[in-house]
Amino acid sequence: MKPIRVLIVDDSAVMRKIVERCLRQAGIDLTEVLEANNGLEGLAALQGRRVDLILSDINMPAMDGLEFLHGLQAVENAKGTPVVMITTEGSESRVVEALSAGARGYIRKPFTPDQVKERVTPLLAAAQ
Amino acid sequence: MNPILSDRPARVQPDSTWPAIIVQSATEVFQLMLNANIDAAQAPSGERPGQVCAMVGMAGSLTAVFRIRCSKESAHSIATKMLGGQNPGDESAVYDALGEVANMLAGNFKGKISGLSDGCALSVPTVITGENYDVYPHSGGHQIKVYFLYEGKPISITLELSG
Repeated sequence: MKPIRVLIVDDSAVMRKIVERCLRQAGIDLTEVLEANNGLEGLAALQGRRVDLILSDINMPAMDGLEFLHGLQAVENAKGTPVVMITTEGSESRVVEALSAGARGYIRKPFTPDQVKERVTPLLAAAQ
Repeated sequence: MNPILSDRPARVQPDSTWPAIIVQSATEVFQLMLNANIDAAQAPSGERPGQVCAMVGMAGSLTAVFRIRCSKESAHSIATKMLGGQNPGDESAVYDALGEVANMLAGNFKGKISGLSDGCALSVPTVITGENYDVYPHSGGHQIKVYFLYEGKPISITLELSG
């Protein structure tokens, strides 16, 4: 699998590091890791840049993950980029809403590195 | 607005199974995110469980606050384990980690209760430090409190329910 650039959107810096570590443990070669504290910062991070994968929390201040997903639809650089939601949100309706808004998968916290690998690697393989 | 908060879902009433479900939720969070085991314990006698408290609010079919409270040493250890053994560095990362634990506890708990999963929204976490304070439940409210030992030190988890 070729090296990738990833955007991780979560209001917890610790959680962003955990997600990055899980990706590396999954054997994914990360050439660049962009981090954003909320959806607004996530959209700003994509201005003039393209990433291969976006992982986003749902429950965040300023702009939550669902608003971020809707905002992504207007970002030319994000067209076709797989988005996986990583969330404590157990609500089926919120998950369905995320999938309807373009998310390609979701991972429920707490999670194991293997669960991250299972969700993410098929999406990256399909994109390559 | 989160539809959970505008649709006025039916209220969910706590029952006698909830303490065990809190224990199960906490055990899963510690095992999956920290690779650590916790042991259920009795309330420590005359001793406050710690100086760091992370809280997550719940609103919708249940109005409540989920709190996890532990010592600074335990909070530091939790953050270190969450980061795969890496030192978290400054205190803000330690509080961030404990806030995430509270968030996952609340999320995992509500996912196990019929009517809460789709009917209850979570707030972002808040962390309080200090020891010399008490929390008084709102009129008509009550609390469910469980204790654990983590690396031999007490941790309390409280679900503070509004009436």
